[in-house]
Amino acid sequence: MDQPIRITAEPVDTYRCKFVLNTLVLPSALRRFTSAADAQGSPLAENIFAILGAGITEVVVSGNLVTVVKNNPAPWQEIGKTIGGAIRLAIAGAQPPIAPKLEAPPAAAEPVDDDVLYDRVAQLFDEQVNPMVARHGGRVDLIDVQEAVVMLRLGGGCQGCGMADVTLRQGIEAMLHQAIPEVKGIVDITDHAAGANPYFAAAKK
Amino acid sequence: MDLTVASERSSTFERAQPANLLTLDFGDPRGAAADVRRFARDHPIGGVVGVDDDTAVVAAAIAADLHLGVGNSESAALAARDKHVQRVTLAAAGVPVPRFSLHPLEEDAAGLAGRVAYPCVLKPLRLAASRGVIRADAQAEFVTARERLRRILEQPEVAKCGEWARQFLVEEFIPGPEVALEGLLVAGRLHVLALFDKPDPLDGPFFEETIYVTPSRLPLLEQGAVRQVAQDAVSALGLRDGPVHAELRVNERGPWLIELAARPIGGRCSAVMRFETREAGCGMREASLEELILRHALGLPLPSLERERRAAGVMMIPVPGAGVLREVRGVAEARAVPLVEEIAITAHPGQELVPWPEGFRYPGFIFARGETPAAVEAALRAAHGRLHFVLEPVRA
Repeated sequence: MDQPIRITAEPVDTYRCKFVLNTLVLPSALRRFTSAADAQGSPLAENIFAILGAGITEVVVSGNLVTVVKNNPAPWQEIGKTIGGAIRLAIAGAQPPIAPKLEAPPAAAEPVDDDVLYDRVAQLFDEQVNPMVARHGGRVDLIDVQEAVVMLRLGGGCQGCGMADVTLRQGIEAMLHQAIPEVKGIVDITDHAAGANPYFAAAKK
Repeated sequence: MDLTVASERSSTFERAQPANLLTLDFGDPRGAAADVRRFARDHPIGGVVGVDDDTAVVAAAIAADLHLGVGNSESAALAARDKHVQRVTLAAAGVPVPRFSLHPLEEDAAGLAGRVAYPCVLKPLRLAASRGVIRADAQAEFVTARERLRRILEQPEVAKCGEWARQFLVEEFIPGPEVALEGLLVAGRLHVLALFDKPDPLDGPFFEETIYVTPSRLPLLEQGAVRQVAQDAVSALGLRDGPVHAELRVNERGPWLIELAARPIGGRCSAVMRFETREAGCGMREASLEELILRHALGLPLPSLERERRAAGVMMIPVPGAGVLREVRGVAEARAVPLVEEIAITAHPGQELVPWPEGFRYPGFIFARGETPAAVEAALRAAHGRLHFVLEPVRA
């Protein structure tokens, strides 16, 4: 890789942080890892799960974003650089940082079918969520559903908006939980720093 | 806990999620309180927290209307909100504040310039983040500053806010280093959560903030005097509960109360504070300022109010100039500076950056943590030195 890898950490909250890279890690796809075993074969996720004492529970990779979830309340500032180093190490390696997703063998009794959930969430987004955010010039794209967790990306007026987190938690997440209780959570993979036309400015100060 | 977020402009989800989102008129605190009373019939409210100067008054009105038990009176919140009312109240109580006088915007500037003492500071009554605050050292500067302030106060989004936008204060300039005090009031007692030094001199002519570093390097005796003045000020204003952010100057005559607000530190700066607490079953953990504020508002037990042992600091990144932001270079290099923990660029590409005194938004924040305040301050400066903001001229 010719250009130096730049990574910017954007903590969402105590337990979730997005790492924005200046290079694509996984073009046109999304992968979610929920354990070290799950990460086997994908060095980027393997490296992050291997960070001792970090309490990593989830790694989501999409485009130039790596979203990391942990159960340890320690500030992101303490392990952010370690995670950045783990990402750089994986990208510099000979092996692809993220392995292609293998088709899962048919399960005997799937408790939740992600494909069915995807269709239901997509319908909710199309019929209810997107008409609402469109009033502020916004858009919500459903990226994927994995193990009942919804991955979405905000666009237009929602990208970089100072109220994006309120929209996400008080609006979209609440609607999802009411309409589709099987949904276990949502992951926002938006690069908010790149939002060029947010409906509300990010902060006064 | 269940959360309802109130805002001045309606969320597009409000009708779909009526328990989660509420639109209130922050310009009419009593009207807002009446709306919340109706809302609370279906959705009981356990506590209310304002997040800025305006909503601190609205929160006080709501807390009083709902008899929540924890909160300030509306009159106390208003006294903190309006700089003239605050000055009058504090001066009457013997709290050291700059000499001041109130003037209508229409008053003849040249005539007034001949009567005021120099150096002085022209100050709007309610704008935040030192917007519109200008120092003048002589009559000609005063006239220029008053004209500049008039243009700010006559901007439509300011002028519509009320009669206060037709007046301004002229204050004595108080020399000396400035500190910021972050506190939590519990039943009238001020708990000082952090005392920040502001190592960059704030001598004007404009008063854009830059670095905050805690713990303070002021001598302990002076720190004690600062705490006492802040306690005296909140008592004089009648504030009882919730967050307090105060700014004081210290010189050979002692501490001077420059500003006090019944709200937490602004923007993202609260992230610089962490509190260590021990919780049953969880061992040691860290609590944020927001957690302390929410717990207090809800009447829940408060964890330790002791800030972590390490030094910490934040730089509100100065506006690099007037223009439209295209990109920010050097973020990764700035993050690589030892002790730097986060670089948060909050301005977005395409955003117009407006320098002080007309401007009031910082383009971002740098956070650092280390063993000493001096090391933290050096790290903040080094990181800032690696950032390069690419601007384009503003098109007419």
